[in-house]
Amino acid sequence: MSELENKANDDGPGGGVHHGTNNGPEDDKGLGLGVVFFMGAFLVCFLSGWLLFPKLLYSKKEQPFNFDHNLHVEETGDCESCHYFREDGTFSGIPGLEACMECHTDEPMGETDDEAVFVDEYVAQGKEVPWLIYARQPDCVFFSHAAHTVAGGMDCKSCHGHIGESSSSRPYEENRITGYSRDIWGKNIWGIKKNSWDRMKMDDCADCHLERTGHKGYCFQCHK
Amino acid sequence: MIENKKVHKFGMVIDVDKCTGCGACMVSCMSENNVPFKEDESNKKDSITWMRVYKLTNGKSFPETEIAYLPRPCQHCGGIGDHGHSPCVSVCPATATDYGYDTGIVSQIYTRCFGCRYCMGACPYHARYFNWWDPKWPEGMENYLSPNVSPRMRGVVEKCSFCYHRYQLAREKAMIEHREIEEMEYQTACTTACPAGAIVFGDLNNPAHKVHQIVKPDPHPDPMNHKVVGKSRNPNVFRLLERLGTNPKVYYMSEREWVRKAGDNYLKGEWENVKTHHGASSSHG
Amino acid sequence: MKIDRRSFLGLGLGAAAGIALSPVGVKLTDDSSIWTQNWPWTPVPEDGKITYDRSVCNLCPGACGISVRKINGRPVKIEGLDDHPINHGGACLHGISGLQYLYDPARIKTPLKKTGNKFEKISWDEAISLVAQKLGEIRESGAPESLGLITGADNGSMARLFDRFMGAFGSPNTYTMPSLESNLAQTAAALHSADRRLGFDLDHSDFILSFGAGIIEGWGSPVACIQANASRRERKAKLVQIDYRLSNTANAADKIIAVNPGTEADLALGLCAVLLAKNKISTNTLSGDVSKLPFAAMLEKAYTPDKVAAITGVNAADIDALAMAFIKAKAPVAVPGKGRGDAGSLREFAAVQALNALAGRLNKAGGAFVMCPADYLSFPENVVDATAEKGAGKAKLAGSVNELADKLETDGGLSALFIYNANPCYALNAPEKIKAAMDNVGFKVSFSSFMDETALKSDVILPASIFLERLEDVVSGAGLAKTVVGLCRPMVNPVFDTKHPGDALILLARAMGAGMAQSFAWESYDACLEQVTGKIWDTLSGDGYVVINDKPPVGTPRTDFTFLVSAPKAAASNGEGEYTLVPVDKMRLAGGAMASSPFAVKTVPDMVLSGKYSVVEINPATAGVLKDGDIAVLKTAMGRAKVKIGFNEGILPGVIGMPRGLGHAFNNPYVAGKGANVNDLIGPVIEPGSGLDAAFGIKASLSKA
Repeated sequence: MSELENKANDDGPGGGVHHGTNNGPEDDKGLGLGVVFFMGAFLVCFLSGWLLFPKLLYSKKEQPFNFDHNLHVEETGDCESCHYFREDGTFSGIPGLEACMECHTDEPMGETDDEAVFVDEYVAQGKEVPWLIYARQPDCVFFSHAAHTVAGGMDCKSCHGHIGESSSSRPYEENRITGYSRDIWGKNIWGIKKNSWDRMKMDDCADCHLERTGHKGYCFQCHK
Repeated sequence: MIENKKVHKFGMVIDVDKCTGCGACMVSCMSENNVPFKEDESNKKDSITWMRVYKLTNGKSFPETEIAYLPRPCQHCGGIGDHGHSPCVSVCPATATDYGYDTGIVSQIYTRCFGCRYCMGACPYHARYFNWWDPKWPEGMENYLSPNVSPRMRGVVEKCSFCYHRYQLAREKAMIEHREIEEMEYQTACTTACPAGAIVFGDLNNPAHKVHQIVKPDPHPDPMNHKVVGKSRNPNVFRLLERLGTNPKVYYMSEREWVRKAGDNYLKGEWENVKTHHGASSSHG
Repeated sequence: MKIDRRSFLGLGLGAAAGIALSPVGVKLTDDSSIWTQNWPWTPVPEDGKITYDRSVCNLCPGACGISVRKINGRPVKIEGLDDHPINHGGACLHGISGLQYLYDPARIKTPLKKTGNKFEKISWDEAISLVAQKLGEIRESGAPESLGLITGADNGSMARLFDRFMGAFGSPNTYTMPSLESNLAQTAAALHSADRRLGFDLDHSDFILSFGAGIIEGWGSPVACIQANASRRERKAKLVQIDYRLSNTANAADKIIAVNPGTEADLALGLCAVLLAKNKISTNTLSGDVSKLPFAAMLEKAYTPDKVAAITGVNAADIDALAMAFIKAKAPVAVPGKGRGDAGSLREFAAVQALNALAGRLNKAGGAFVMCPADYLSFPENVVDATAEKGAGKAKLAGSVNELADKLETDGGLSALFIYNANPCYALNAPEKIKAAMDNVGFKVSFSSFMDETALKSDVILPASIFLERLEDVVSGAGLAKTVVGLCRPMVNPVFDTKHPGDALILLARAMGAGMAQSFAWESYDACLEQVTGKIWDTLSGDGYVVINDKPPVGTPRTDFTFLVSAPKAAASNGEGEYTLVPVDKMRLAGGAMASSPFAVKTVPDMVLSGKYSVVEINPATAGVLKDGDIAVLKTAMGRAKVKIGFNEGILPGVIGMPRGLGHAFNNPYVAGKGANVNDLIGPVIEPGSGLDAAFGIKASLSKA
């Protein structure tokens, strides 16, 4: 309160009426400084919004060990060998240990450290690998792989991109607020997408549905 | 592709005379759809029961007293003229509930709902329930929750979905086998649970389905009341508050006249008119 | 240069503009709205592979086949098993909610020992050695007969194992809780021969005369009965219900005969008398039945239409017409057992079965079957030492569990008691008396899965795994006209530190050493079951069930009417009051050893349970000053309870109907502390000659609270 009063007293002699004219030159300086402050603050905030914010928003987690998709696709020939449909039409998603053990044994097949981790920590102990799923949608979403790939004739890439060609697992980024994988919103912090697989929000599903089926779909078509 | 598919109109017919009021449908529904429960569920206004069995009486004195049990799932209204403007769908400001034109099922997104409860006010059948509290399961009991239906949270409205997830599962199987789903592949949890076989579920648009054969729905609007479409041509079959033109896809069946009469509120003398001109229901007002 | 407020303004505006043009705003808005939709505490059930496993439900004697849906091996739903010979895909609400019992808040998680008034966790080793030591002392004292056993069912391998234990230990003091099954067995023993079971072929009968049996309300094998009733319309089969209230079964019936409560036996005998008087009974049907002449004489003398009419309240012409309709039907059957049939007098059961016998309906399709027990178990010979032989040869303390309670309360007589699959401190009439009787037993061992009223009274608890966690043979019974053995299989590993009660017995016997250990030489219960089921094991474990018999038994059994001729008196309702209080069995409320699940309680209408009050049915004509919805005090000679008045046109004037299965008092807030236990208000009336509690109700008064 007293500071404000002091300020008011400082301005006092000038009086309200003369305010504009008497302090003219100082005003210009003040404005100039204001602009500097404005620009400075703008730049700091704008850049942190662009560069720092995403780093703060997402926590990075490494996969339990590196997985070489490229190598596995070369060995098996396709995605479906590991990511298959069950007999009831549901999709198996990421294979469990049992599926891995159809090819792998309790001896490492390769010589990488990752293979050793797989064998020692998971195969030997009969423990499932706690993979972090980049494409995981929230619990309220129902997604039918059969409807998209079998009935709709889409390929895996349309949504999953070129993951099958990667030879190392990128870190999993989790949104600290929502707990969603970063892939849902997309790598681009503005949510701008270049490829069909860049973003997997509800609008992206709806756009494609509208284009291909003539309708965005009804709630239960994609929600449970 | 969806647009090439035949349009389904899933519905059920419940034989009120067969229903024993045993409650198996209610529990099967709750356990299928992750419906929560509270310590005290005796206040039925806040007791979430997607399927609720009502008890009706004919109001007569003993020994003429008769009772009937009327199971009430969501009626999956087609709205006036059966155009998909169900009472609840029309009022939802969040587009959290909509009408599936491919199935006739009133669907919803729980997470999209912000809890205004307009739909509850609009529903003439009290089929919608609000989550006043966060669901709470006794320690360990979350272990029985099904992944096919997402558990709801405080502040959202929920209701019967005709076990849509069972439709999805049946479709997935049919899709990888490159065929259409069959009648018995998609049945709701209440239907399969009913020990008396009182509920018949299927596609009202498919003449091969039992529900169609029992209901014999009239595809044309009722000449006496154009709001009403799909009226049953079976004299024992009726719908609840049929004259409103909500066009429910849940039909009821009874050989007992007083039960059929209990399906609506009639002015004095009105019922005599309705029952003798079956299929011709006059409009309210 | 001076930093003034405009600089700050510039700073603020710059920051705001910078943030506004950065993605922060749009992203945070989206994320925060998502956050509000997905609370971190809302559970996310794990997805995975769907499988279905077959098993059998043993929550009630229905023995229905169930299909358990699992996600990655985790059970998520119980449904009826489609191709099962008993329930054909149907299920009841209790079975469907079975998974809730796995995680029931009242489950006993580890073995417990009572110290003072508190239970203390102990290990299985400690628990077994503690019980073995106590039992050892009893045997050493030379009075093995002072070990008692109260059990719920008396068939299947578990019942046989307990019998075997008692036999090897040396005690005859095994008592079975009254149930439809035990009542029918006792009826068969009184009228036909010992070790027979009764079945009622409702599926093929065209005229079901039910003496108050809640055929669609949990009587017998509930799903099978509901299905039999549902098919009546197509089969053109009639149902006539003799009842004093408009039960759901009465409502479904083609005809209701209103009868005074507790006079069903008189009506049945009255019907027999009419058939005899009109020569409608061919003497051939009774050939070989030595007591038929005295029985006929008794009927002629004591059950004239007028006398019966006066007792039952049914007029003589109606009795006559009913008898004629019954005898003229192609395949009539008379069905005893009011409500679920758990309570009742032998006189009543026997009178109804006598009607079946006189009408020539024994072992006929659509009639009443007198069946041999399911003989599929072959145990190796029990090892019985001298002590055991001496103890087992002694007379039983009492004839029935009710008499036992009386005996214990007054003179004691047991130094230890096993309780398995039973909750007498809740389910029997006058539970306080039962609790007092339990107090007179030094050492009580419970095999309960739940901390129910009886488990709370125990000294040591050896907690049992529930049916979803264990292997067991389940035999059909409870009035079903076929014999099916089903296999209950573990659907999940025990959730808590519990054991199969069979394994607990084996460990106990092993700890007792010597002969007991030899009697229970199996490695585990599972090994025992495989051995004792012998021939049928392969089919049983392969198909999940074995149909032992589904045809009418051959030949007409002998009927001995001596028990009825001895003219047992009808049980009178005791006490004082202007009303007769009767318990009412409801399908949605479990009444026996098992309490209801949270789901089942949720389905209970507010016309049955309102807040914390049981709602009692009363005819408005005899309600006096009481109004619908009033809170009233219901008083009987046994106790009092605050209840809510529910007007019901469909109950006889002067009768108060109170739901059974409420008023549990244990630690499960979803199930207990709701309403009052009707058994608290009714006192047992022990029937001479059978030892059964024949109380059908009690005199009561109502006053506004």
